[in-house]
Amino acid sequence: MDEVATKIIDILKKNMKEPSDSIALETPLTDLDIESLDLAVIVFDIEDTFGIEIPYNANEEVEDFATVGSVVDKVKAIMSENKSSGAAA
Amino acid sequence: MAQPKDRRRVVVTGQGVVSAIGTGRDAFWNALKNGECGIGEATFYPTDELYITIAGEVKNFDAEELGLSKQFLLADRYSQFAGAAAAEAVAQSGLEMPLQGDHAYRAACIIGSGIGGITTMEFSYKMLFEEKKRATHPLTLLKTIASSAAAHVSIEYGITGPCFGVVSACSTAPHSIGLVYQMIQNGLCDLGVGGAAEATLNWGTAKAWQAMRVLSPDGLFPFAKGRNGTVLSEGAGILVLEELEHARGRGATIFAELVGFGMSSDAADMVNPSIEGASSAMQFALDDARLAPGDIDYVNAHGTATKVNDINETRAIKRVFGKAANDLSISATKSMHGHCLGAGGGVEAVCVIKAMEEGIVPPTIGYDGPDPECDLDYTPNEARKRDIAYAMSNSFAFGGLNAVLIFGPAPA
Repeated sequence: MDEVATKIIDILKKNMKEPSDSIALETPLTDLDIESLDLAVIVFDIEDTFGIEIPYNANEEVEDFATVGSVVDKVKAIMSENKSSGAAA
Repeated sequence: MAQPKDRRRVVVTGQGVVSAIGTGRDAFWNALKNGECGIGEATFYPTDELYITIAGEVKNFDAEELGLSKQFLLADRYSQFAGAAAAEAVAQSGLEMPLQGDHAYRAACIIGSGIGGITTMEFSYKMLFEEKKRATHPLTLLKTIASSAAAHVSIEYGITGPCFGVVSACSTAPHSIGLVYQMIQNGLCDLGVGGAAEATLNWGTAKAWQAMRVLSPDGLFPFAKGRNGTVLSEGAGILVLEELEHARGRGATIFAELVGFGMSSDAADMVNPSIEGASSAMQFALDDARLAPGDIDYVNAHGTATKVNDINETRAIKRVFGKAANDLSISATKSMHGHCLGAGGGVEAVCVIKAMEEGIVPPTIGYDGPDPECDLDYTPNEARKRDIAYAMSNSFAFGGLNAVLIFGPAPA
């Protein structure tokens, strides 16, 4: 697992009531016993850690928040988007 | 409906409103019945660092043009909204103001706010932290405190009885109105001004709400398949309530009777509402009014257009109303005036009373089709004619704080 994934899993564990050691990229977020407000805090933490902005809306079920791996992919996508737009500017 | 003799009856003799779809009851109602939307791109604060860029702003609000006194001109925008709504309500009531002598002690002034003068606070912090100013403006504290609107209105009208602000997030207005109702009912007061005002549309508040991840990027579509969150707005809704014989004695026009008030707390979660909390508040209001579910014609729903609220409210209505839920006309007028937080239930009370008067149920606009879990009649997109004898107004706040009002016809 790479650094981005490790950091994201650490953030998830920090915000779980009963942190589990068996979190994998395939783990669905719904299996993690995370409530909606906790998820807002997790997204805030991820944004802060990676210096990015994720337009997450708690009212919508989106693919990006289906599994741990999809969150990792989303974060990586935003980071590379930021890099390329920064280079263009 | 037979009212027991020991209970003083409480009627509405004045209403005032400030909203994103109109200031003043007539403008507000015309917009409601025509399904006009007051939500658009925010202009009061820069949006380039936000991804939620819409709000329900009260445009062209000018306290001086409205003739408010100097004390309001120096106050926070939230107090100015309260001043404007109270002025309209008091003028409509025909009460001789300011109140004089012992009579003034028999009047209440309960005007709350979810937050109070937070834009004043934000400005003062900007001056201190960013601009490195030596001091804040001397009125900063008085403008900020969430009891300032109540205090200003009491000063304006010489109300010397109970006066304070209530704080219960999005249930502030019905809690305030309900307290005035109980004070009159119990004999402590003969009349009172009750409601709430809110003006939180600033950059810091927009950031804070955006971080909660509950706002929609494109509109407030309650109970609809495509709903995706709520939209912040601002405003004020204030009623003048009076003991029935007091109102009759001075020949006042009576617009409606406030027949029921129910409140409860979920005592469960800060953001996820419970069916028990919402349904118990509705049931307590029905019990207080001594009405059966089938007596209610119209429910002005809390309807915030968040995924969870609208499902929970639908289930709670079904639990309380049973089969009668299918005969109800329901609408969520937040689709038009936005979610003005503490002021919401006050603005919606004005809407409900006018709906009863006109026999028109205002619509829920932006309705693109049913969510299978929200399957009641939400009066989609167009107003509908219907005789309304009794109407309920729901408010369910963050923290699980619930308050429900029921209005009935003016006593013959």
